[in-house]
Amino acid sequence: MAALSLLGRIALRHLLGRRRQTVVGISGVAVGVGFFLAVSSLMVGSQRDFINTLVDAAPHIVISDEVRSPPPQPGLRRFSGAVALHGYKVRNEARGIKDWQQIVAAAGAVPGAIVAPSLTGAVTLRLSGREEPLALVGVDPDLQAKISTIEANLRVGRLHDLETTQGGIIVSEELAQRLGLNVADVVSATSSRGGTRTLRVVGLFKRGRAQIGSASGYVLLREAQSALGRPFIINTIAIKLADPYAAQEVAARLEHRFGYKTESWQERSADVLSLLVTRNVIMYSVVSAILLVASFGIYTAVSTSVADKRRDIAILRSMGFSESDLQLVFVLEGLALALVGVLLGWGLGRGLLAALGAVPFRIAGETEHLPLDRSLFQYAIAAGASLIAGSVAAWLPARKAARVDPVDILRGAV
Amino acid sequence: MTALFEAEHLRRILAGDPPVTLVADASLTIEPGTFATIVGPSGCGKSSLLYLLGLLDRPTSGALRLNGTDLGALDGDARAQIRLRHFGFIFQFHFLLPEFSALENVMLPIRRLGRMDAGEARERALQLLDSMGLAGKAAMTPDRLSGGERQRVAIARALANDPVLVLGDEPTGNLDSGNSARVVEILQKVAHEQGRTVVCVTHDPRIAAASDLRIEMLDGRVIAEEAGPLGT
Repeated sequence: MAALSLLGRIALRHLLGRRRQTVVGISGVAVGVGFFLAVSSLMVGSQRDFINTLVDAAPHIVISDEVRSPPPQPGLRRFSGAVALHGYKVRNEARGIKDWQQIVAAAGAVPGAIVAPSLTGAVTLRLSGREEPLALVGVDPDLQAKISTIEANLRVGRLHDLETTQGGIIVSEELAQRLGLNVADVVSATSSRGGTRTLRVVGLFKRGRAQIGSASGYVLLREAQSALGRPFIINTIAIKLADPYAAQEVAARLEHRFGYKTESWQERSADVLSLLVTRNVIMYSVVSAILLVASFGIYTAVSTSVADKRRDIAILRSMGFSESDLQLVFVLEGLALALVGVLLGWGLGRGLLAALGAVPFRIAGETEHLPLDRSLFQYAIAAGASLIAGSVAAWLPARKAARVDPVDILRGAV
Repeated sequence: MTALFEAEHLRRILAGDPPVTLVADASLTIEPGTFATIVGPSGCGKSSLLYLLGLLDRPTSGALRLNGTDLGALDGDARAQIRLRHFGFIFQFHFLLPEFSALENVMLPIRRLGRMDAGEARERALQLLDSMGLAGKAAMTPDRLSGGERQRVAIARALANDPVLVLGDEPTGNLDSGNSARVVEILQKVAHEQGRTVVCVTHDPRIAAASDLRIEMLDGRVIAEEAGPLGT
């Protein structure tokens, strides 16, 4: 320990005696760490923001009345091992999720889960000779408000208005404009099985909400069931979990148990998530390059220090310092540069984050700020990476210090 | 502890094409408390022999014994440890570390050995500087000391860990006659009063004359040994 502090003091004197090199080495690390913090906070923050949008836009899990593979033919179901038959006519089975109450109960058993059954079907809206296709969605307003962001995306009206108005419907602003509809106007909806019904507009969605869709209309569940001619039928069950990252596992369990296609948000957004992976690879490459450049600074500083101090190395060796002592002196020099650089870099990073966080952006008429991840984790990564890179960068030239042959130096000097 | 220092047929050849013979054949025995000098013309291998004796360089062949213990088989760290505990070096140029004060330079080997705490090491270093007549200069860095003062700081540093063997490579080579005489006086005291073995390579006839044993070298070989001080 005494030896280490002695070697540390020698290292410190070297650094203080070589101010310019020291300042250059430290600033390299400081700038590297500062920009690492700025870039990675921005990337991680925006990614989190993006995933939140992705997760919250739609339910975490959606169970639909589809199956991933066709059901086995009844002949096979009945007689195991029977040869598959061809040209076989299968009785039409009524679409919809059977025993949906059981699924709702099973999904509701997951702690913190909110389960919302709904029925979606196609209708045609007609108004004074104009026609628009529409996906009619029958929902329970209470549950729907809890599992989706619909409520926040309403420009006019509230989800609860569906309950207070007979035949109330909420459509998008775009659709309303195309049909010339306004709130409180009446429109007729025709489906293939339920005939024609009259609906009254009680609310409008904001424009450009891709996750809701401009061609969807929300009504009460029983309204949809009767409009679509499918009483008591449900064809979609949406689930919101307390922990969105458990969705994949819960979905797999429900699908295994009930057989219906059960999609987690990760599965639904696999393409986007894989895009994020690419983005992360790019980010970490850039960020590692920054730190690599910073460690070049340390390498240069330590390397020139070794070259300048060859005589001192020989003296210390003759005095009885060992090869590893001298190697340690120069590794400590590099570590000290990295350490001070990290501390200054943290300060710089904080400053950059404050500056980035203060920049206002106008997106779709709303003022927003950059999403930044200000967690201490980023600071820890930056420090860890720099210290490791710094010690490697110092270790390489420090080996040369250990290899200096004192006799060469002493003979040359005398 | 005192040192009986023995070398047998030391040989040092630098590998290369053609190989260079630095020391062809050197055998010598130095009794404890002896002030010995190695003399000879430039390039005769004096310094090379000194580096071999000081464990800074390894002989190509031959044996080196300290109080009967063979030093040839030791690895680098063990050799460094012996230099630290038992040897002290003085060079032609003072070779003090420029960033450290005189006191800190003397404390370096003491602190590295780690047998004394900081306070004791400081006390010991101050005593040594005082014995060299440098009590008032302890806090100064080498660039503020005169040549003679620097060399005396270097001697104090060589004596810091109470070595049995003090090795000098032209210790007066860079000093005026007054400072040279002072250094010679100190080295004699180190050998005769403190019982250490002192071996110095020198060109300076005055040091040679003051020494107890003169080892004469020519072309890498010890050609003569002459004991007893020359007439003063």
